[in-house]
Amino acid sequence: MKALFINGTGCISPQPTFEAGFPFEAKDYNGSRLTCIEPDYSPYIDPKLSRRMGRLLKYGTAAGLQALRDAGVAVPDAISTGTGFGLLDDSGKFLKNVIEAAEGVVSPTAFIQSTHNTVSSNIALAVGCHAHNNTFAHKGFSFESALTDAQMLAGENESLRNILVGAYDEVTDYSYQIMARLGLIRTGEGSSLDLLKNAAKGTIAGEGAAFFVLSPDRTDKTYALYRGNRLIYKPASHGALSGAIESFLTEHGISVPEVALLSGLCGDPGRDALLKGINAGLADGTTVMTYKHLCGEYMTSTAFATWSAARMLQSGAIPEAMLYSGSPVRPRHILICNSYKNDYALILLSVA
Amino acid sequence: MEELMQTLKGQIVEQLNLQHIKPEDIGDDQSLFVEGLGLDSIDALELIVLLQQKYGIKLANPSEGPTVFKTVRSIAEYITAHKAA
Repeated sequence: MKALFINGTGCISPQPTFEAGFPFEAKDYNGSRLTCIEPDYSPYIDPKLSRRMGRLLKYGTAAGLQALRDAGVAVPDAISTGTGFGLLDDSGKFLKNVIEAAEGVVSPTAFIQSTHNTVSSNIALAVGCHAHNNTFAHKGFSFESALTDAQMLAGENESLRNILVGAYDEVTDYSYQIMARLGLIRTGEGSSLDLLKNAAKGTIAGEGAAFFVLSPDRTDKTYALYRGNRLIYKPASHGALSGAIESFLTEHGISVPEVALLSGLCGDPGRDALLKGINAGLADGTTVMTYKHLCGEYMTSTAFATWSAARMLQSGAIPEAMLYSGSPVRPRHILICNSYKNDYALILLSVA
Repeated sequence: MEELMQTLKGQIVEQLNLQHIKPEDIGDDQSLFVEGLGLDSIDALELIVLLQQKYGIKLANPSEGPTVFKTVRSIAEYITAHKAA
């Protein structure tokens, strides 16, 4: 499929990714819940409209609009997004309203906002985009599905020059409690930046929104080249995963020693076993970076990883907080290798 | 009527999440939609829900909406008339 240039980015996350430069100074959290650093939305969203928007709708919309502004694109030719849980908080509010009103008349606002595609629709309304608008909700493959959608669109229709692609998720009180009860989240205090230094069971919950303007055209703003992605569901063994990585890279004319790895290690020994096996199989000195200690674990965390990788490829800087092993040399190719439970995903970016 | 209008202003601010407006900023006869408070069609639905949830009044005829929801005073008059009925 067609490689596409990343010509604009926007990211709101638990780190200062929206307004600070890159590399940013990593923010440490005490505990196992990382929440987004929210900016002043007024330059992006009309206060009259934002009053009825939930938190995710605001930071998702602002991240999308920032990516468009960054690329100098007023209206994209298509919008494709991914989300694991969608607007979870508003879904909860709506269901609570239904119960409290005994299934009678309920407020329409939470209902309107409770669909998975509210963010992409809201961006389309904000910029007057009447083109393709799709949202993929495929658990740990949601963002990757949106990327594939963009590549297929660009391959099918050459008139599409700017496609807005992004992903967003939020952690709510209820989702956090449920994940903690299931043993997926670590309990107690502890530095989030030390997530991978601590071998305790479970991970830290996170959230965020990251958007990209993808285009077949290189511009002055180009950050990186998005080459493609590969989804691997439930790899049977370390060999199956490493074989898939080699095959994926070979298809793009790249060998394993040429890439810097951005690994989705989440800190849970059980869930990290296969990814740690990949790290161990790399040549000595290979640059390995990690990112979930910065944004937390959520279904579309690879959007945060992609934002970080694009910024690293453009600036040549590897944030100290992201370096896991190897040397901080300027990478030419970054392979994001993530797992969300059984969903393993690869995303390949190169210097533009 | 005065007391009802003051209560309504607070309920409108809360139900519509009018973050930068205080109840006392809303005039009794100020237009609520378009050039007044700038409310829109979703707010109209919220006001219908408010009438039903807080006062047990269903707007029988939707075409009455623009007249009923024109100002705080018109809503208060509608509530008074229909509660009495």
